Amino acid sequence: MNNSVKTALIIGGGMAGMEAASKIGSAGYNAILLEKEDHLGGIMKQLYGSFPRWDNPQELVGQKVKIVEENPNVTVKINTTVKSVQKKDESFLVELSSNEQVEIDAVVLATGFGFFDTSEYGEYGHGSFDNVYTALEFEGKLKEMESWDKKDLPQVVAFFKCVGSRDRSKGYPYCSKICCMFTAKEAGLMKDINPDAKCFVFYMDYRAAGKEYEEFVRSVIEDKHVRYVRGRPAKVLPENGKLMIRAEDTLMGVPVEVAADMIVLANAMIPSEATKELAQLFGAKTDQYGFIDYIPGHPTQTGDRVFFAGGCGFPVESLGAQYQGAAAAADVIALLNQD
Amino acid sequence: MNVAYYPGCSLHGLAKEYGISVEVVCKHLGIELNEIEDWNCCGATAAHSLNHELTISLSARNLAIARDMNMDKVLAPCAGCFSRLKGASYELRNNKVLAAEVSEIIKSEAPVEPEVNNLLQFIMEEQGLDALKGKVTKPLQGLKLAAYYGCLLTRPKEVVQFDDPEQPVSMDLVLQALGAETVNWAHKAECCGGGYAASDTDIVLDLSGQVLDSAKRAGADAIVVACPMCGVNLDTRQEAVSAKKGIKYDLPVIYLTQLMGIAFGYSPAQLGLKRHLNSPFPLLQSKGLA
Amino acid sequence: MLNTEDFYHVWRIDQTSSLLREEIKEYCHTNIEMCLECGKCSGGCSNAHIFDITPRKIIQLIKIGEEAKLLKMDALWSCVACQLCVDRCPSSINIPRIMDYLREKAYKQNIPSTRPNVELFHELMLGNIKKFGRVPEALLSVEFNIKSKQYTKDAEMGMKMFFKGKLNPIPARVKDIQMVRRMFRNIPAQREG
Repeated sequence: MNNSVKTALIIGGGMAGMEAASKIGSAGYNAILLEKEDHLGGIMKQLYGSFPRWDNPQELVGQKVKIVEENPNVTVKINTTVKSVQKKDESFLVELSSNEQVEIDAVVLATGFGFFDTSEYGEYGHGSFDNVYTALEFEGKLKEMESWDKKDLPQVVAFFKCVGSRDRSKGYPYCSKICCMFTAKEAGLMKDINPDAKCFVFYMDYRAAGKEYEEFVRSVIEDKHVRYVRGRPAKVLPENGKLMIRAEDTLMGVPVEVAADMIVLANAMIPSEATKELAQLFGAKTDQYGFIDYIPGHPTQTGDRVFFAGGCGFPVESLGAQYQGAAAAADVIALLNQD
Repeated sequence: MNVAYYPGCSLHGLAKEYGISVEVVCKHLGIELNEIEDWNCCGATAAHSLNHELTISLSARNLAIARDMNMDKVLAPCAGCFSRLKGASYELRNNKVLAAEVSEIIKSEAPVEPEVNNLLQFIMEEQGLDALKGKVTKPLQGLKLAAYYGCLLTRPKEVVQFDDPEQPVSMDLVLQALGAETVNWAHKAECCGGGYAASDTDIVLDLSGQVLDSAKRAGADAIVVACPMCGVNLDTRQEAVSAKKGIKYDLPVIYLTQLMGIAFGYSPAQLGLKRHLNSPFPLLQSKGLA
Repeated sequence: MLNTEDFYHVWRIDQTSSLLREEIKEYCHTNIEMCLECGKCSGGCSNAHIFDITPRKIIQLIKIGEEAKLLKMDALWSCVACQLCVDRCPSSINIPRIMDYLREKAYKQNIPSTRPNVELFHELMLGNIKKFGRVPEALLSVEFNIKSKQYTKDAEMGMKMFFKGKLNPIPARVKDIQMVRRMFRNIPAQREG
């Protein structure tokens, strides 16, 4: 740390936070990057695959961590959270969980998103029945399956989208934006691990609005032979060791059943608890759900000297999170340049 | 706590053993049941199928009498009656136009209280599991039971607001408190065919058949119910389902309060257990409970 | 009961709303414009496999205002009102209430039920309630067998139930029966089964 220059605090060491910290550091300012876990990488670090280019997420995270760690102006503090915040005229006094106090001139919130609690969806039996996983749990399963005997691999895997998203009754009215893509990815990866497996994706729509996204989903359907069934599943009924899925094929207009070995739920992304707490501490603006909201005209700013990037604002894929991290860094640098 | 009791037609008829055991168990628990004076039928499936105003009015009169008796709560052990009464009070609270019409018909202010409970909610709230455990003298050890909730004990969730409509647990917890084991099974909250037993028996054979299959697969010794429609459909139509599918179920269908009574030390005869078509006696005897 | 010819033609759609949709909003307090067209209602419906029109299609037909088709569909008389659809609907659309509304409307318009026995049973039950205030189940089942000309239906089971004390031959009566009868003022005169 160079005491003669200004300092920014970046909270959250996922893709957005790492991007912001490294850019701010490269501009010659001090960047303190806080991470509550014992490693950098956020959600991306927990993933087995990525879209739309099937890159290895561990490599993508590794490259970014290397850039951060090699930057002399970035100080990474793992296992660290914010305890309290005191606003001074043009800075904040922040007390950390390590009992250390830092004075900072700007903050970037990059705390990522949380996940919808699937216990609201008793009809899918996550937590009640074996072999029903959330999408994030399934990324870990995919990793495990690499070393399974072929005979132990699931033969029929069904993926449910919109679990808690687009649901004004039990969940949230919004579309979580990235589930269509990671569901296609997970179904495709399952086919890579076990080409004999039958993968079904139950969908209301598939939303593939992004560079190379439509082609990605089509390739999962056409090249990897994942079967898309239009209809939102109604109930899972375990039967003779299988998970019997009841749904409507809305294109046929008939009730259908699929006997699956494994079910993967794309549960909605929601504001994390940390996001809500930090928004209060730093006086950040939040929307009706608790996501960080922007000040009109300033898409990366949410309060006086408070900026944000990544999933704490709304669900976003890793590339988008990095764009936002870079954009927030640009705003921070511009502000510190003026000081 | 003044508790109004709405037995409904079935607890005086087809499911008399349910009514008998509810009264035995409540007396044992020190709960005084005040039968709603001069109550009328809730209208069941027939009324809501053909006339909305009628179904609400029939329930409104019962609730208004309970209110005028200064009752704090209504216990409606029949899930069908419960659904009509609870649904009516929900609708009267939220639909002022209908409430005014109904007031005019029943010549009394449309009632929004007392609160209506089904048997499960009543036991959980008025007794609680710990108190219940303390009263068990004959634990139901060795019984492996499928707790069947059917449709109307927990649905629609917006009206009932009790337990989980898809993976309910309250009856399982009560049975476990009595010392029994419960199976985790798929059809605990699917439909048995409800009020179609006489008028379109095929529907009941189909839906009750799915429930029986599922309970059998889960390895249950018996199905436990808290609804006369579920009880009657699964008990009296079991033979016909067996004949149709060629599966022998041997699944007695027992009301929750009957099992509570046994655990409290009452004899099967006192609880109407001789009234079932699929006798629970061989099972209860094999476990030393009868 | 709807037939294939009810569906296999070109559907001219001129309107973006329908009177029926407005009615349902007013009387059932449910806004079908909230439908996401996901099919969750129909996938879990207890009886979708025997419905001529599944719940999701019923909502579509209401949007188009195809009242004539809706009032003669068999689903009105085979819906078990199990409430699965409304609980699972991501927009809480109250389909059971809509089914009751449409059935009541069909009944008032004298549109024949596709399952006359279901309708007959409802009518006989209401007749008993009007007469006694409560339902004497034994009497009702005998009455139903006679009126539906199924003289031996469930006779053997009925005897077993009688001996098990499940059928109470003496009807109980509500004392204030006049009050119960007031509630029937808006019910059309019963149709002969």
